[in-house]
Amino acid sequence: MYYVADVKEADCAKYNCKQCVLFCPEPNTLMYHDSKHVAWVNYSRCKGCAICVYVCSDLLKRNCIEMVMVTAGD
Amino acid sequence: MGLEYVRISPGFERYMPKDYVDLVQYGQFGKQIDVQMLGQFKELVEEHPMCAGCFMAYFIRVFYAALPNPEDTIVIGTAGCARLALSQAAVPFIYGNYGDTNAVASGLKRALSIRFPDKIKDVVVIAGDGGLIDIGFGMTMHSWFRREKFTTIMVDNEVYGNTGGQESGMSPKGVQLKMAPKGKQFDKINAVELAKVAGCVYVAKLAPTNPKRIAKTIRRAILAARHFGPTFIHAYTSCNIEYSIPTEKVLEDARKREKQDFGFYEWMTDEVKEFFEEIENKPQEVKA
Repeated sequence: MYYVADVKEADCAKYNCKQCVLFCPEPNTLMYHDSKHVAWVNYSRCKGCAICVYVCSDLLKRNCIEMVMVTAGD
Repeated sequence: MGLEYVRISPGFERYMPKDYVDLVQYGQFGKQIDVQMLGQFKELVEEHPMCAGCFMAYFIRVFYAALPNPEDTIVIGTAGCARLALSQAAVPFIYGNYGDTNAVASGLKRALSIRFPDKIKDVVVIAGDGGLIDIGFGMTMHSWFRREKFTTIMVDNEVYGNTGGQESGMSPKGVQLKMAPKGKQFDKINAVELAKVAGCVYVAKLAPTNPKRIAKTIRRAILAARHFGPTFIHAYTSCNIEYSIPTEKVLEDARKREKQDFGFYEWMTDEVKEFFEEIENKPQEVKA
């Protein structure tokens, strides 16, 4: 069981910002969907640092990303 | 090295690992990619064992996205945290002994310019504060005195993070670390001024708070090193483990330090400035 970031798609699609993607320290983890215009997370690669939550909630006040608990195999 | 080594021979696509096929099809080889496109292409650096929320890992991610010619670049690193991610990238990586990165890079750059006199081959050293300014100090300084044409990037986490938190020459004065319980007694070394005095033609200091600016600085450092001489970037990449920064506050800490002592600073010689004015004001080619 571990923490990963999860993007709330409906909220994220309102903005066209992708700032969280630019600040994730992990490569190929927090990605941006070209046609849906939302960020999405590759859960098996996310280390759960929550920098994206800081960018989205504290800096931009948009609250589109939250940390969720997943179990192995999800 | 070179694009022809990266491409997959026709008919072999389905036998190659998926990650490699993605890298060739959706990666940045042979293209000029804007760092703002991060997250929309397959990155050169792969999964790596660096800690969660490490800003050195973030700097390295942006570094690989910013490389002007990744297929013609060799990266040299040494013991320290950075090598954990550097060795997981699709760019040739050489592991120098502790402290001799700039000596290895000098020889390599000279050999490459003899072997490929008409091609561009970039050599970039990325090492920590210990590898470049403490243990590798002599070889770093001498490569600058000799005006070797390659880029040196110091990812400064202000501590020996791999070995339990000993103070380094770059730790700020008075800071208390696990293996420096009395607090550091001496000032932080001014690496930027040393580089200027030693003969670097382009020197920059930054905290990784603005990916576009990091990419521009790295690109400039590599381009200046191709034509003029040694270049140096001093980047603040905090160690959230040894300095006990909660992972979600790592960017906040970088922004705080940027206001205090890591404000963006860039210095270059007049000829380098002329060179950049010439190439950066040219109409841009269409980007892929």
